[in-house]
Amino acid sequence: MGFRIIANDQDVRICVFMVGLPARGKSFISQKIVRYLSWLSIKVKCFNVGSFRRQLGITQPDAEFFNFANQEYVNIRRQSVINTMESMFQWFEDENGTVAILDGTSITCERRTWLVEECEKHNIQPMFLESWSDNEDLIMENVKEINTKSPDYAHLDVASATRDFMKKIEYYEKVYETFDSEKDGHLTYVKMVNVSDEVIINKIETYLQSRIVFYVMNIRIKPRCIWLSRHGESIYNVEQKIGGDSILSERGLAYARKLKDMIEENAPGETLTVWTSTLKRTQETAQFLSFKKLQWKALDELDAGVCDGMTYEEIEAKYPEDFKARDADKYEYRYRGGESYRDVVIRLEPVIMELERQENILIITHQAVLRCIYAYFMNVPQEESPWMAIPLHTLMKLEPKAYGTKVTALKANIPAVSTYKEKGTSQVGENTKESQLHNILRRDSEVALSR
Amino acid sequence: MSAQQKSNILSDEEELLNGLGSQLLSHPSSNNMARLNKRWTHTVPNHNGGHHRRARTIATPTSSFTDLSRHQQHLIDGVHDPVIMNDDTLSPGQLYSTDSGKLFHAGRILVVLVGLPATSKTLLSVAITRYTRWLGVRTESFHISKYKADVDKGSDLSLDIQSAAPVTEEGKQFKKTMIKSIVRDMIMFFIENRGQLAIYDALNILASDREELNRVFSKLGVKVLFIESIMNDAELVHRNIEMAIQSNDYVECSKEEAIERYMKRLTINEPLYETMTKEEKGVSFIKYINFGEKLVVMNNQYGYLINKIVFFLMNLRDKKGCVYFARCGTSDKDKYIDDEYLNEEGLEYSKLLTETMLRRLEDKKKRAEQGDKDENISPLIVWTSPRKRTYDSGRFFLERGIPVTKRNLLKQLNPGAIADLSKDEIKEKYPAEYKESLRDPYHYRFPRAESYHDLAVRMEPLLLELEHTSNNVLIIAHESTIRVLFGYLMACTCIEVPNLKFTRDHIIEISFSPFCNKVRRISIPDGAINYVV
Repeated sequence: MGFRIIANDQDVRICVFMVGLPARGKSFISQKIVRYLSWLSIKVKCFNVGSFRRQLGITQPDAEFFNFANQEYVNIRRQSVINTMESMFQWFEDENGTVAILDGTSITCERRTWLVEECEKHNIQPMFLESWSDNEDLIMENVKEINTKSPDYAHLDVASATRDFMKKIEYYEKVYETFDSEKDGHLTYVKMVNVSDEVIINKIETYLQSRIVFYVMNIRIKPRCIWLSRHGESIYNVEQKIGGDSILSERGLAYARKLKDMIEENAPGETLTVWTSTLKRTQETAQFLSFKKLQWKALDELDAGVCDGMTYEEIEAKYPEDFKARDADKYEYRYRGGESYRDVVIRLEPVIMELERQENILIITHQAVLRCIYAYFMNVPQEESPWMAIPLHTLMKLEPKAYGTKVTALKANIPAVSTYKEKGTSQVGENTKESQLHNILRRDSEVALSR
Repeated sequence: MSAQQKSNILSDEEELLNGLGSQLLSHPSSNNMARLNKRWTHTVPNHNGGHHRRARTIATPTSSFTDLSRHQQHLIDGVHDPVIMNDDTLSPGQLYSTDSGKLFHAGRILVVLVGLPATSKTLLSVAITRYTRWLGVRTESFHISKYKADVDKGSDLSLDIQSAAPVTEEGKQFKKTMIKSIVRDMIMFFIENRGQLAIYDALNILASDREELNRVFSKLGVKVLFIESIMNDAELVHRNIEMAIQSNDYVECSKEEAIERYMKRLTINEPLYETMTKEEKGVSFIKYINFGEKLVVMNNQYGYLINKIVFFLMNLRDKKGCVYFARCGTSDKDKYIDDEYLNEEGLEYSKLLTETMLRRLEDKKKRAEQGDKDENISPLIVWTSPRKRTYDSGRFFLERGIPVTKRNLLKQLNPGAIADLSKDEIKEKYPAEYKESLRDPYHYRFPRAESYHDLAVRMEPLLLELEHTSNNVLIIAHESTIRVLFGYLMACTCIEVPNLKFTRDHIIEISFSPFCNKVRRISIPDGAINYVV
């Protein structure tokens, strides 16, 4: 039973058009929606108008290219939107897509009217998502990010890139028509003023639209980082038993102590909030940290039901069919009387939403739950996520950016058993080829960008 | 507000240490390291002040019996059942349970409704209560109308106290006392009943009244959110007045008189109305315009639970129609594994179902034409589950040009390993599982099966679609699916849901009114109506 069926019971097709001046976080929001919906197994794709423009050969345009007085340039840009739309319609047909996001500016009423007409022809529900902002800090932060990351500015130094970019914004400002409740009352739109200071929501007609708006309302654009760690090695880990509510081993306690040092070293002077599960091993791991701590039931480990407290060998012997079934489809497999990865994803909803709103959170939780959270930030497909190797005694730092999430992994260098079990065996260990392949942290400290 | 009372409201910090009742690190207890803390269990503080873990029993047989009979015999909407201190009954749509009874680390929240008479405030407060309770939040709505009850309806005082700013001394005094008692009751709800979300249904059209509420509750650590309902669509306002005069306030007068009194109530308050603006410093509010057509969310800083309410409001619309439930017709083998078309008997049933249903709507239409504004003439749509015989049960509707849609979400509870087994066979083949299932029939899953809870989570989009549609919707589905949907609309507990009975001799009609939903049973084929109240 896929969630896609759940959320898209009536073959609804939605196109979300981003609206707003350059540097208003539109790409960031688009990417976030893509990650969230695919995490829920909804077929989604983002179409970036800029990349279609680059396909037309305009690779590193200067600000003049965005001057609306120049008809030739306006035509090229119109053509890139047309090409983007065509490609999007094709995707809906070929891939049976559910939600497309059109990441462009769509700042004039005329353009938007055309977009709506095109969607209606293809039986797609259009909705607009406007990011409006006059917050200088926020805009400059975005400008900086774009100037260093976008291929459009790769050839310029930061100062000239910024100058050129500000000029581009000026050109856009001249023609910008923001959503107006009188004039646009008939359209489905969401207008976010300075991210979430004020959110105007107009004419939401379907469940899926409301779901997208609900998610977007939780997003904050500010740069921030999220710290993730599994609990320290537990007695059950040593005994190779799964689940349980055991306490930490000596080495696990050593990690708990080290964790304090690692946080102090890597996030000096920062005040974090620590989220743990309600199980002892995560609380013990957090015990030396002097920050505010919150316990979430939703962060408890995937419940192994009748297999709780057994070793993989015992499970294989006692429930051979279940053991095989789990390896065959680990994401959907539910332990008898327990949970599946999908169940965990559903109960994590409040955690994910809060996580999007908050800054500086350290989450100390369990292997399966961490896999789900990691998969959300890194857009890991569900066939892979339950097989990721996330070793014990490793602290991860995630930095969500417009073009991906940056991960840094820090090893505590305190030995711990491996709890990684590869497909088809009941043995655990991380030295196998398989686990090397799935290990997200192949070196001591590695930077990986989400796909 | 005594110091004693204040100290009973735990701060967020205290709540973490005490409220969640997790065993703290100081006593890593026995050798038993098994996980007792399951998703549906939590610890309950014992009387010695310490904490001990126990698996929560979902309900004792006696309490389940009384609860059940209440709903089975009377079919009363449970949305106004009081939240009780030690009642840890889980809600059908709840994702997990906590020791404190609070969810999502959202703290305590007071939602204050704002708006002129006839702007659906009562409906909104009840609808939010229904939805958040379904999610497991301990919510209660507080209606000012209940506090006015003992004033003589025809008197001048009665009119004066309908004003946000009474002019007579007596009226002023009355308003003061009224607000005092409702505020006291809401504080008691937070403290005594471990309440998380209170919803205050009154005019609250004066900025000064709102400021005072914000001040009092913020001081207690309760977050305050205002929801202002604005209606500038004349038709909507008119419908609201028609709806409002059906309330208890107007039972003993004629319709004309009731409308007149209601209009007076509107006229005296209109000039006093101060709409909410950004100038009300630091205040979070939502403007809910023309019944959900447009929403403006200002300064929202309260997180998940409030966003979830906004999410709900995006889907909530003015409901003109009713929701109907019917079982599908029979097929030959009547087995889960054989997906069959209807047999003769099943076809006959479907025919009768169609006739009975359409006759009912015809009657309602007639009454509406005769001037009964209570009746609706919304179009009918039919949803069926994707199984052959269920979709087949809608064929006579299709023949008459009524749209019939297969909805995958309406798929019945997947019975897994116990498909097509009788109770005795289950007992024999899965004795341990059977025993376990009796302890918590709502959450228990047989091997490879779905639980009712799984069903409730999977059907969430349908619940919200039912809140959105203005049509009459007939749902032809399996009993398990109907139980969950009915459970939502009538605010049943998860003890009640698995035990609800729906048979092939009745269509169930649920009609919406601001204060509570009503159930009628329409007998197939004679159309006799059993007004269960």
